[in-house]
Amino acid sequence: MSLARFIERLLQLVPVLLGVSVIVFAMITLTPGDPVEIMIGDQVVTPEQEAAMRHDLGLDKPVHERFFVFLGNAVQGDFGDSFYHRRPVIDVIAERLPATIELSLAALLIALVTAIPLGVLAAIKKNSILDRLATVGSLLGVSLPGFWFGILLLMLFAVHMQILPVSGRIGYSSEIEPITHFLLIDTLLRGRPDAFLDALSHIILPAITLGLPMTAILMRVTRTSMLEVMRQDYVTFAEAKGLARHRILFRHALKNALIPTVSVAAIETGSLLGGNMIVETVFGWPGLGRLVVESIFVRNYPLVQAAVLFYAVTYVLLNFVADILYTVLNPRVKL
Amino acid sequence: MKRTSRLLVASLLAFGALAPAANASELVVGFTRDADTLDPGNHRNRETETIIRNMYDGILTRDSSMNILPELAGSYTQVSPTVYEFKIREGVTFHDGSAMTAEDVKFTLDRLTQEGAMGNDQTSPRKSLLGPLSEVEVVDGSTVRVTLSEPWPLLPAMLPFQEIVSKDFVEKAGTEGLATQVNGTGPFKLVEWRKGDSIIMERFDDYYGGASGIEPVGKACVDRVIFKMIPESASRVAALLSGDVQIINELPPFAVEQVKNSPDADVVTVNGTRSFFIAMNVEGEIFDDIKVRQAVAHAVDKNLIIDKILGGNAVSISGILSPDAFGKNTDLPEYGYDPEKAKALLAEAGYPDGIEVTMDTTGAYKDTAEAVASLLTRAGIKTQVVVGEGALLTQKWRTKGGEKSGDMYFTSWGNGSLDPQGIFVPTHVTAARGNSAGYSNPEVDKLLDAAATEVDREKRAAMYQQAEAIANADLPYVYLWVPQDIYGVSKRLSGWKPSPDSRINLHDACLK
Amino acid sequence: MAAVDTDTPREAAAAQESIFRRNLQSFAGNRLALGSAIVVFLFILMAIFAPLVAPHDPAETDLFRRLQPPAWMPGGEWSYLLGCDALGRDILSRIIYGARISIFIGTAVVMVATTIGIIAGLAAGYMRGWVDTVISRVVDILLGFPYLIFAIGLMAMMGPGLINIILALVYKEWVIPCRVVRGETLATRELEYVEAARALGASGRHIMLREILPNILSPVIVVSTIRMAHVIILEASLSFLGLGVQPPTASWGAMVADGRAFILQAWWVSTFPGIAILLLVLAINVASQGLRDAFDPRFHE
Repeated sequence: MSLARFIERLLQLVPVLLGVSVIVFAMITLTPGDPVEIMIGDQVVTPEQEAAMRHDLGLDKPVHERFFVFLGNAVQGDFGDSFYHRRPVIDVIAERLPATIELSLAALLIALVTAIPLGVLAAIKKNSILDRLATVGSLLGVSLPGFWFGILLLMLFAVHMQILPVSGRIGYSSEIEPITHFLLIDTLLRGRPDAFLDALSHIILPAITLGLPMTAILMRVTRTSMLEVMRQDYVTFAEAKGLARHRILFRHALKNALIPTVSVAAIETGSLLGGNMIVETVFGWPGLGRLVVESIFVRNYPLVQAAVLFYAVTYVLLNFVADILYTVLNPRVKL
Repeated sequence: MKRTSRLLVASLLAFGALAPAANASELVVGFTRDADTLDPGNHRNRETETIIRNMYDGILTRDSSMNILPELAGSYTQVSPTVYEFKIREGVTFHDGSAMTAEDVKFTLDRLTQEGAMGNDQTSPRKSLLGPLSEVEVVDGSTVRVTLSEPWPLLPAMLPFQEIVSKDFVEKAGTEGLATQVNGTGPFKLVEWRKGDSIIMERFDDYYGGASGIEPVGKACVDRVIFKMIPESASRVAALLSGDVQIINELPPFAVEQVKNSPDADVVTVNGTRSFFIAMNVEGEIFDDIKVRQAVAHAVDKNLIIDKILGGNAVSISGILSPDAFGKNTDLPEYGYDPEKAKALLAEAGYPDGIEVTMDTTGAYKDTAEAVASLLTRAGIKTQVVVGEGALLTQKWRTKGGEKSGDMYFTSWGNGSLDPQGIFVPTHVTAARGNSAGYSNPEVDKLLDAAATEVDREKRAAMYQQAEAIANADLPYVYLWVPQDIYGVSKRLSGWKPSPDSRINLHDACLK
Repeated sequence: MAAVDTDTPREAAAAQESIFRRNLQSFAGNRLALGSAIVVFLFILMAIFAPLVAPHDPAETDLFRRLQPPAWMPGGEWSYLLGCDALGRDILSRIIYGARISIFIGTAVVMVATTIGIIAGLAAGYMRGWVDTVISRVVDILLGFPYLIFAIGLMAMMGPGLINIILALVYKEWVIPCRVVRGETLATRELEYVEAARALGASGRHIMLREILPNILSPVIVVSTIRMAHVIILEASLSFLGLGVQPPTASWGAMVADGRAFILQAWWVSTFPGIAILLLVLAINVASQGLRDAFDPRFHE
């Protein structure tokens, strides 16, 4: 794809991000509920103190002024201070982000590793027991409500059988100096296999819960696309030429079959971020999703605004990546 | 496939068996919420203070019976109605080894009360907790003189809520640094703060010993303390039962039986400080008639709800103050459960067929509110529970004298200091912040106003008792109950008792 | 192909009709899909006739029956088959009434969203130009929001309530049928019979509604049925977070949330509503899968 087109696509992101910013700001400002009142709750506060708090949070300025201050700072990367943490929102989000990203990536990995082989096998052995089971499994995967399934898994493995932990990311007896802030990687880099197992035991249930719908979808897509490809003329042509079916499948068919899988995976990863909230709540995972939900309820405006912008940027970028991947992998398609 | 998964489970099992038992002197608290910040002056959240209070000491403190005791102050005197003097202890060091002096105390109090003292034009949100504090001076080296702009008998009761910071450290690290770094005088120092997950502390070996009125005096008993965040109540209980944690807060009433019956854990309770009540919109058409309000009071079977829903862990109240509060009137008349009387009162008020009303509440109180609503409905007060978001309800019901649109509001008000100033005034004074009923009685206003500055304790208590009697007769609220705070503890734990102000002070906690 | 003449649009429509009938018969032949469709129908019947089917009043509390176990466990009673919740209400009755909420919200959201989506998609796909640009940008922006956050934010803005939930879910849901319709419109607008209609001077509106729309309905319907399952889970998620319908109205998601706190002591309070969600959503998914297979032109080759 030419550089000009690439830049053109990139520039199209700008109005989208602007639109998202405007909507987020409008929504949160129009939402009834005063953050200062919520923060005070039922504690003893003088009117002067309340006014001082309002001033400190920048809420004594009129709406349009607040919006332009927000935009102006945002493009410089300053999203203000969190009302509750009284620290820059960027810092608070950055601290919670690795947990969310690690969980999403783990879910994605589980999905890819499970869905692709299953989908390919189901397509090859179409209408066999395996195929039918896989179909049932994938239908179940998209039908299971995540919040319910997560609770059941937790109760079964953590409470009844007690082989997995109840919440959190890693045991507190494991102290790891962060390098990438991804515990699964850092524990290995620091040569601590015990801590690695510890982190693994914490992440496995939430990752399975989060990744289940995606596994189901990817399996279907892979299967359908594999079937498509197997019917193609060039496959029959190659068979006619005498090539072993095995080799045809793996060398030619699979590569092309995976194209839709990859692009769907890229898009669905965006929705993984959306599903994070529920899983993080159920499993006590210290990520961004839980923080955002709590922040909405207490009207922690700066944090919600920055977090939503982050999600929007990620989602748009992922779509972008999906488009690019699609072009790169499929030379016949020109954007 | 099968062998690998079995191997995985086996290794996880093996690991799971190893981990928790490793360090016997490590006390883990399963806690509901993370701290907002580690800066003692920059938050207004009780859970945050609970965590910080283990790493920072204050001028004064409270023991688990709520007695006020000197901590970093060796002693204190009230020189005049507006002047107090605190003699600061010698030989106290911060975690970084530097000595704590009266200068640090002055610096802390100034930082809390001066406008813009937090840097960046920001004022401490805890300023109003120190009331009319106007000046702090260091007198002869180790005494701090605090001057108030008007008499305020609450000062000693409110000082335990503030913690002393190091002047040098704050000047070096700034307010931003203090949010995530700790240099206090408390029995534990910070090891690591894993945001959203846990706070790890370890014993400070050079601790000066703590308040002399709280035995034992000396270093902390356990090596490490960890506050682990487990917001899900079922998970928290599970963690206690499995031995992962040794203390949990907010143990739900329905889990009490299970914890009591378990071999390794037990339940401890302490009288709570949060009063629950139903606010009735006395300015509205229906509830401005006292007979209707009395009908509501007679329609609620408080004992049934306390027994069935709260597991018996609550105390019924007939006035706004909790039984342990200062100035509690213990002779208030009860509006007993009598649905027939309720119906009769409604008929007298002109509603022979009963009334239809709504009751607002938040999601957290939904179950109890619904139980109350069904009782009310059976007595002719057809009640529809409307669950709303806390933020919206606050706006609707805490209007500071503005007009209200609802009928009833099922809610609560906390009173951590157990002083009526913190609960009676906001809920009963005309146009006060928490006056959800829209109640206005000039006599009560006068009494509460006078009591705010009355220095004689007996006179002060009498004023509050009189005010409670008047409110009980006027009945703007149906006063319900004060639930106990229920904690779960491991049987290996000793040296710790829960405190009505929700503090979890782990200085003297030991593990067998 | 024959030259343009006035009969072509009608013939095209007639041809479409017989294809539709064939697809429908194909769907009926798929036993699993048909079975699932019947299950969905049963749920709908259960919802409509709830007062007749439910053994108890779903809102009736009885504090002496708090957390009563299901009938087959010690302490249970056969008249309260699936046990009782924290306020002593019969779980089975609440599940039956809860079907009303799930089905009503699912259907309402999908119907409203599809209608808006069709209008927007037709406009964008047929009229192109700035209309398309504006609509596509709006779609992109809305897609940039994670679904749940947007819904939570809207609910926080508007307050709780049935209508508000529907609105909150519709706000983002319409972009999906819109995209499908837009794509299909782009594909069909160049077809011969559309050209013909245009040549005859038919108005844009006529073309969109009378010519294009009937021919793209099939994929739209298939997508809508798939989305219904998703919307039901979304509504349950919102209820789970506490933003759903008001008590004492029973919503399956809220029931799961209610039981979550005492899942150690009374697992049935959360488990059975969850199973209800699973069964309904699974049935919808299997049926719509069958629908998709039946209406997929490639399937019939």
